[in-house]
Amino acid sequence: MIRLERLAKSFGSLRAVDDVSFSVPDGSITILAGADGAGKSTLLKMIVGLVKKDGGRVFLRDKDVSGDLGRVTAITGYMPERFSLYTDLSVEENMNFFADIHQVPRARRETLKKKLLEKTGMLAFRGRRAGALSGGMKQKLALSAILLASPEFILLDEPTTGVDPLSRIEFFNIIQDLKAEGRTILMATPYLAEAEKGDFVIFLRKGRVLKSDSISRLKKTFPARVFRLQPRLPVFEALKSLPPEQGLRQNVYIQGASLRCLEPPGKDFRRLIPHTKAEEENPTLEDIYIYYERSAGAPEGREA
Amino acid sequence: MADAVRVRNLVKRFGDFTAVDRISFEVRQGEILGFLGPNGAGKTTTIRMILGLLVPTSGEILIQGRDARREIKSVKRLMGYMSQQFSLYPLLTPAENVEFFAGISGLDRKAIRAKKEALAAGLSPSLMKQMIRAIPPGIRQKIALFVSMLADPEILFLDEPTSGVDPETRRHFWEEIYGLKQRGKTVLVTTHNLDEAEYADRMLIIDRGVIIVEGEPRALLQESRAASVEDLFKEAIRRHEAT
Repeated sequence: MIRLERLAKSFGSLRAVDDVSFSVPDGSITILAGADGAGKSTLLKMIVGLVKKDGGRVFLRDKDVSGDLGRVTAITGYMPERFSLYTDLSVEENMNFFADIHQVPRARRETLKKKLLEKTGMLAFRGRRAGALSGGMKQKLALSAILLASPEFILLDEPTTGVDPLSRIEFFNIIQDLKAEGRTILMATPYLAEAEKGDFVIFLRKGRVLKSDSISRLKKTFPARVFRLQPRLPVFEALKSLPPEQGLRQNVYIQGASLRCLEPPGKDFRRLIPHTKAEEENPTLEDIYIYYERSAGAPEGREA
Repeated sequence: MADAVRVRNLVKRFGDFTAVDRISFEVRQGEILGFLGPNGAGKTTTIRMILGLLVPTSGEILIQGRDARREIKSVKRLMGYMSQQFSLYPLLTPAENVEFFAGISGLDRKAIRAKKEALAAGLSPSLMKQMIRAIPPGIRQKIALFVSMLADPEILFLDEPTSGVDPETRRHFWEEIYGLKQRGKTVLVTTHNLDEAEYADRMLIIDRGVIIVEGEPRALLQESRAASVEDLFKEAIRRHEAT
């Protein structure tokens, strides 16, 4: 288990992480979601000690590891948002380099490397220069590299940003395999459709936990009904011409060619939007995120 | 009226690798065209050729009916570009970036001041004082869009503008793109967020340098009976990979 207790970090007057506590259960995939600047990356960096905490404690396997970097890195793999391997080295050379850093014994090295590159589908590309890999392949290589240390805890910072949809699915399948092996995964992502396959979610907002729970429970206890509306007007027009009814604008958003309409108890927002078709649907993680995020107020810089 | 962009049999080879393989398509005046495809399919290469940043191996590019290679100076003025990577200077403030890029675009002092004021009207004063690198990515992208519109281009190319941007900010960004269309601008936009393709008037899917799907999102969905653009995309790529 990863347990965070009252973590805090400020940069000047900005409270990037503000009194954050939560746990990541063993063998789960926990998703860290939230607007840009909500504190996701800072939080991950604080766990592995890349950003110094102002306060709070980090527990791994119920041991307080704050300040014990050696202990953290021995059992934790961290994959930063930006590709951080050597672009001038081949896939194989990058793996060798990381095997050296992690002091993987020579005897085990070849088998482990082969196993990991096979797992991530990168074996066929072992001779290719890392700089010449596609976005999705780079991320798979970066993941393979951190797996060399056989980490129990895996922290991923937006691993699929800029990666095409098919490679994204592939990458997430690998993450699910890692979970099946019993590893514990904490992953920040802006793609909530992808996050649906996780077990738990933590929504951050302005450095604080906005909402956190198991994904299934969040859905079960979601207070609003969700409708997919086919508006009479094109979606952007329909959105612009919403009547000034209290709470309406806050609960309607565009999704492809339809509008999503969230109706808290006692509200009948649908009748205020001219539409040709309305279907009730189960809430998605995106519905839930937008609902709570908007209930908390407009995000900073919204007016930009 | 001539199409905003017309591409005929466009080819780009790098050594023995064919990045773009005889593609033809057009971007119609005043439309939003969604340009989709896997990483490395040829999207950015195509855009860079249209913009004159990369010389095609062969093929023809017409911008509002004019030959893009022969009349490069005049057609360049018609086009704006927001690249995949941030095209802003990270150590400058939003206003300094505007000043710099407006200067390059040949705006005079008065016009530059007006642009800076317009930007300030849409950003909180605290953000205006920050360096770009300290500003959240979603807002940075909006500033980058503002900058790419400084010279008031007719045709705008947005390369993955919503990559890594949270769900709320992505939608605000699309409202801005739609606002450009309403002002009569033509927009070509690439994205990996496939639900966004439905905001476009038409969409193209390119894979391994070849266009494999072209049409209006809604019509394509009906025709293929796919539940979403994502399903349509997966199926199209799967079929193409099998060939």
